[in-house]
Amino acid sequence: MPITAEFEYVKPKDMEEVLHVFSLYKEKARALAGGTDLVVHLKEGLAKPEVVVDLKAVPELAGFALRDNTLRLGALATFTDLIEAPVIKAKFPLLWEAALTVASTGVRNRATVAGNICSAVPSADSAPALAVYDAVVLTRSLGGARRVPVADWFTGPKRTALRPDEIVEAVELRLPEKKHAGCYMKLSRYEGEDLAQGGIGVLVFADHTYRVAACALGPKPGRCPLTEAALNGKKLGDKTLQAAKEALLREISPITDIRSSKEYRLHMAQIMLGRALESASARLLGKGPKYGAENIC
Amino acid sequence: MDLQKLKTKPRKAARTAPAADGLKVVGKSVLRVDGWEKIKGAAQYTDDLQFGPGLLYAALVESPHAHARIKSLDTSAAEKLGGVVKVVTGRNFTQKFGLYMNDRYVFATDIVRFVGEQVAAVVATDPKIALRGAALVKVEYEELPAVMDPVKALEKDSPLVHPDLGTYSHVPWFFPKPGTNIAHWRKIRKGDLEKGFKEADLVLEDTYYVPRYAHCAIETHSAIGLYDASGRLTMWTSSQSPFTQRHVFAETLKSFGLSHKDVRVISTYIGGGFGGKAGVTMEIIAAALAIAVPGRPIKLLWNRAQEFYNTYQRLGVTAKIKMGVTKAGKITALDFKLHWDAGAYVEYGANVVNAAGLSASGPYRVDNISVDSMCTYTNLPPCGAYRGFGYSEFLFGLESHITRMATQLGLDPVEFRKKNAIKEGDILPYGAHMNPNGIREAIEKVEKEIKWGVKEKSKDPRKAIGKALVCFWKSPAMPPNASSSAFLKFNEDGSVNILVSGMEIGQGLLTVMAQVAGEVLALPVTKIRVETPDTDRNPYEWQTVGSHVTWGCGNAVKRAALEARERIFDLVQRVHCLDKSTLYLEDECVRCRTKPDFSLPFRDFVINGIQADDHTFKGGPIMGSGVFMPEFASAIGDPETGQGGHPNVHYTTGSAGIILEVDRETGKMKIKKVALAVDCGKAINPDLVKGQVVGGLLQGFATVLYEDMRYNEKGRLLNPNFSDYKIPTVMDMPEVVVPIIIEVPQPDGPFGARGVGEHTMIPCAPLIANAVADALGVRIKSMPVTKEKVALAAKAARK
Repeated sequence: MPITAEFEYVKPKDMEEVLHVFSLYKEKARALAGGTDLVVHLKEGLAKPEVVVDLKAVPELAGFALRDNTLRLGALATFTDLIEAPVIKAKFPLLWEAALTVASTGVRNRATVAGNICSAVPSADSAPALAVYDAVVLTRSLGGARRVPVADWFTGPKRTALRPDEIVEAVELRLPEKKHAGCYMKLSRYEGEDLAQGGIGVLVFADHTYRVAACALGPKPGRCPLTEAALNGKKLGDKTLQAAKEALLREISPITDIRSSKEYRLHMAQIMLGRALESASARLLGKGPKYGAENIC
Repeated sequence: MDLQKLKTKPRKAARTAPAADGLKVVGKSVLRVDGWEKIKGAAQYTDDLQFGPGLLYAALVESPHAHARIKSLDTSAAEKLGGVVKVVTGRNFTQKFGLYMNDRYVFATDIVRFVGEQVAAVVATDPKIALRGAALVKVEYEELPAVMDPVKALEKDSPLVHPDLGTYSHVPWFFPKPGTNIAHWRKIRKGDLEKGFKEADLVLEDTYYVPRYAHCAIETHSAIGLYDASGRLTMWTSSQSPFTQRHVFAETLKSFGLSHKDVRVISTYIGGGFGGKAGVTMEIIAAALAIAVPGRPIKLLWNRAQEFYNTYQRLGVTAKIKMGVTKAGKITALDFKLHWDAGAYVEYGANVVNAAGLSASGPYRVDNISVDSMCTYTNLPPCGAYRGFGYSEFLFGLESHITRMATQLGLDPVEFRKKNAIKEGDILPYGAHMNPNGIREAIEKVEKEIKWGVKEKSKDPRKAIGKALVCFWKSPAMPPNASSSAFLKFNEDGSVNILVSGMEIGQGLLTVMAQVAGEVLALPVTKIRVETPDTDRNPYEWQTVGSHVTWGCGNAVKRAALEARERIFDLVQRVHCLDKSTLYLEDECVRCRTKPDFSLPFRDFVINGIQADDHTFKGGPIMGSGVFMPEFASAIGDPETGQGGHPNVHYTTGSAGIILEVDRETGKMKIKKVALAVDCGKAINPDLVKGQVVGGLLQGFATVLYEDMRYNEKGRLLNPNFSDYKIPTVMDMPEVVVPIIIEVPQPDGPFGARGVGEHTMIPCAPLIANAVADALGVRIKSMPVTKEKVALAAKAARK
């Protein structure tokens, strides 16, 4: 299917040029990294930019690195890059597990983490992982750089804190200092690639503290503080879990759409929370399913 | 893997050791004759064909409304766009077309009847310009009340989709009701229904719902048309039905002076059909555009969304079943009402309704039966053939119902099925006799394979295991005079070219035809070439649908091979004075039973003849032709009872069983094992039959577990894409698939073969529904049986 809209295509070689284009065109410019959303939107006439700015030739945006317990994911880092990096699996297993559930191999080879959070659909698989690792989104414009905590990043369905003259440079994640394990549970219609109908990401720490985040269970993905409060300081038992599930129901607001009903999402959110906590706790003890296994509901 | 090694090293199964039945080529899993071509990427599909820089492209203007009157149509802005060659509308083409009922428009003229219907086409030098031009065509509509539901469509004040229905031409076995939305009403009345219900110890009545489905062939529809200065229309199409297309093109466009001889359809390999590329849908637009812009080829290529909403969809059905059964487990009465949502045009879909109505008893003997199979117009996209042709749809309700009734009576559902299973000679719902079949053997083998009666427990306490066994049957749905034909030509080196118009749609037809001819002519399939057709050069075939081509086209090829063999024997008898009855073919030679030294290789005579003692040559090129028509079939029966005709040539029967693991909390289902036994009469190529079993099951399970076409209240399809219409991936395969081949020969089939293509997906829906009921005690009566429905039903049951 051809793209019928006309637009300028530029492929700058450095950041300065990129930022100049964005300062000139603002909303009328669209960044192209993986293009897995943008190209589809161009074909369907949903995106009508005046200029498409291909970021792939900008060296500062490429790759990722772990330094001083901080992981910096360049804006061009793809999901496949993460999946294939042993350091990600070893140090940020929840991010690794979530990356594996994104779309299909072909899409993961192109799609970037930064693109995933810029598209900002409520079902973004990377979002719960970024939320529990307290990620920070690094943006830049000609006016300067900003550090936006991921908690402030998503402002609504397909809306973010990104300003029209900015682009995302990188996403930073701090390695938690305490011993922990995680699990991302995803609700999907079948075993093949699917958009999450609901997702729960948890980190369980050895000192009985917990971090919980959700996607596709409300207008924007993010942490679940009431659920965390119900869990923190407690060992996982039936009573605690029940309290956590009840807390979760108070802070999610799923809708009925073509993919799932609100009723099923509410039901599954609780099941997924329980199973994610169970898996992560087992993983903390060196047991439980391997990362990437048994996490599609 | 070294592919070349594989090529030269024959596999164990492909060796030509004589089998117990004496067959050397048939019954062997020879490698596909089109395998290497496809593996190497040499196989051409319609979109691969090159037409040079003169090729024009078309884009459509489509209706945004389910039902509306076209008030005005302004093409002037589009016509002014540089690169636009022509804008074509219903003003240029007012013709209707249709396979069984002439009710579909080339372009909407004054009324649009579904969202996505073609209103105009823009022909341009480039696909982008065509799309931009289409966006410039201004159409004003006056919206009309629309009807989306086949039951509501029967209400008195329902909008009429086709007020002129009474004037439409159709085949003689359709019974439309002008002034209503009923396009066809197939009635079956046999025995005494009231008496049957009185004899019953249990009568159960319920309604089952099946939504629409899409074929989702990976290759979308495409067609290229060229109308040249000689008055000839050539169409390159991705089609299961080149000759039927030629006929529909010639009939629809005859006012332009076309006759059948002027229309040529060339069909390439096709990337999946499943019934969706049977008949004519979008191809008529390409044909019309070719007429409108003569002298240049014009290409129409469907995008994925169009593939969903403007080809054929599988019909939806609301099925009301009332069944009576005795304590001993005999079905005494069946009252079956099928309300089919056939969409805005039913030119093909009405025959699905007909086929289902004739066979709605399922593979069971039911002496007292009433069937009302109603084809109803709605303002949703047109429906037509889809693998299974109505049988999957009615079987969901029927096989669910049978298990429920057996369970309620405390009877074993498998024993119940054995007791009622149809036998050779039983009277069918329309009065004809049942053909030989192996359904009982199929049930027994499947029963054993799934360890029926042994209750299994999952290792995971959150999961339960359920089992189910169901039966299926299906007959080819075809006009009584649907025929097949074949040409067969020998070449200098003793190799053979076979010309047929049966289509290779992935099922392996070309290979199977080569095997049939190879068996008769003592040739390995590597010496035989069979290709996709060109209607100018290849002989007639009705369509490649209904799982009938192995049988029908196979019979024609066998006759062509026998004719060629007869010519060989005649020639050898004439020249070598050997009695014909002593001659036989072996290892590409003619041999003689009474003269062991005699061996005449084909390559020595099949083109240039045999030199006689006087140095003259006798004979000439060896050829054969074969024709097959089921001369015993008749579609004409009493409209009120369906009795009297012989509309179906035969049934293929079988049984399938499943071991299903269900998560009680999430509803997620995992198929631990599925076994399917099908009586294909004779497996010409067992690997290809097994391929049909695996593929059919995967396709069938997708329709029951997650596929589902969803419309909004305005008739717009909400999921014309793979983001929200899910088709199975390799990760969705059942853990274990056991294909079981049963061979009770079909007396009039080539080497006893009958069809097997569609049947393997038919049992899937009731298998899942019954296994879920067995595992969790909840009954889902609407397809798809999604994990969501299962989880919520289980949750409700726990309360």
